[in-house]
Amino acid sequence: MDEMVLIAGGSFLQGSPPWMLRWLDESDQPLPPEWFGDETPQVTRHLAPYRIDRHPVTVADFAAFVHATGYVTDAEKRGFGMLYQRGWTEREGVTWRTPAGPGSGLAGLDDHPVVNVSWDDATAYARWAGKRLPTEPEWEYAARGAGFRIWPWGDEWCPTRANTAEYHGGTMTTLAQWQAWWAAVGDVRGAMPLTTPVGAFSPAGDSAFGCADMAGNVYEWTATTSALYAETARYDPAIRPAMGHYRVIRGGSWMSFRYQVRCCERMHGDPLGWSNFSLGFRCARDA
Amino acid sequence: MVTIVVPSVWTADRRSYFTVQEGPLFEVLRRFVAQRPECRGRVFGADGEPLMFVNVSVDDRMVPRRERAGTVVPAGSTVILISPIAGG
Repeated sequence: MDEMVLIAGGSFLQGSPPWMLRWLDESDQPLPPEWFGDETPQVTRHLAPYRIDRHPVTVADFAAFVHATGYVTDAEKRGFGMLYQRGWTEREGVTWRTPAGPGSGLAGLDDHPVVNVSWDDATAYARWAGKRLPTEPEWEYAARGAGFRIWPWGDEWCPTRANTAEYHGGTMTTLAQWQAWWAAVGDVRGAMPLTTPVGAFSPAGDSAFGCADMAGNVYEWTATTSALYAETARYDPAIRPAMGHYRVIRGGSWMSFRYQVRCCERMHGDPLGWSNFSLGFRCARDA
Repeated sequence: MVTIVVPSVWTADRRSYFTVQEGPLFEVLRRFVAQRPECRGRVFGADGEPLMFVNVSVDDRMVPRRERAGTVVPAGSTVILISPIAGG
C-alpha cells in the first residue's frame, strides 16, 4: 500500500467557517458548539507541493517495518495500550500485534490500518519509509481540497461512504444511542477494533484528490503540535492543556459519529507514548 | 478553593467548571468525584487509584506522572483534567 497522491500545493482557508458551528448547533447531535470551537476561526495556509499516502499505513506495512528494523512500539515496551470501554482505559497486552489484548491477533487484518501506534512509533515508521507525518494543513487540504467541504466527498452525509459508528450501527444522534451500540458491539466482538480494509469505501468515499479513508476507519496522527487557530476562539476549556503539548489528530474513526469525521474536525493526542485501538496514521513527503 | 475544569462531555449537564477545597492533588480529585460521581470512572480506576493516563494541568503546567502524588494544589489554582485523546 505504498501509493502516494501528488498534491500541487496552494492556498486555502483551514478550519470551519462560522456557519459550520451554527449548523452543528442546529443539527441533531449531542455536543455543544464549544466542543468544535477549536476548528475556528479559519486561517489562511500556503502549502508547497507534497505527496501524501492514498491510504493509512496498514498492518502489513507496519509488520514489514518491524521485521526489517526490530522496532518495538511504545505499547510493547510499556506492556499496555488503551481501549475504550465506558471511557478510555489501559489494558495489559494491548499492542499493534494484539489490538484487543492477549488472545487477539492480526489474522485477516493485513490490509487494515495498523492501530496502537504512538506518535513516536508513527514517526519512526515514516522515517524508515523515507517519509514523514503530514502536517495538519497538509492533511486537511488532502481531505477537502481548496474549497470547503464537510466530508471528503462533499456536503451530503452518506453512511456507506466511510467506516464510522453510523456505518456499523445506523443513524445515531445521542450519546445514549452510541453507548447502546457500543455495548452491543462489545458483547459480540469484545474489544476487537472495527477497522475495515483501507480503500474499502473507494472511490465513493475518497477526497477530491483521491485520498481514501480520510473520514473514519482510524484516527490519524499528524506532525503538528496542537495550537488554537486564534485566541479569540470559543472552545471547550478542558482542551487548553493540549495546546503546545499534544499533537493534532484528524479524520475520526470507526468509533465516531458523522460530525466527528468532518474534514475540519480536530482532536488532540498525547504524544508521550500513548496509543489506542482506533488510532493509526498515514505518511507524507515533500514533492 | 480550587477550580476544576473537565471536558463538558463528562457531565450530564454539560458543565465544565467545579469548585473544591484545596489540598494534595489526589485529595482534590477525590473531592471532585465525590461532588460529581458520574466522573469517578474517568478519573479513578477500579482500584480507587487515580488513572495516570489522564493528564493533569495545574495553573497551566502539565504535572508529570511521577510528581502527581506529591503535588499540593493551593487555593486559587485551576486544575484541568485532560484525556490522552481530547476534543473531537
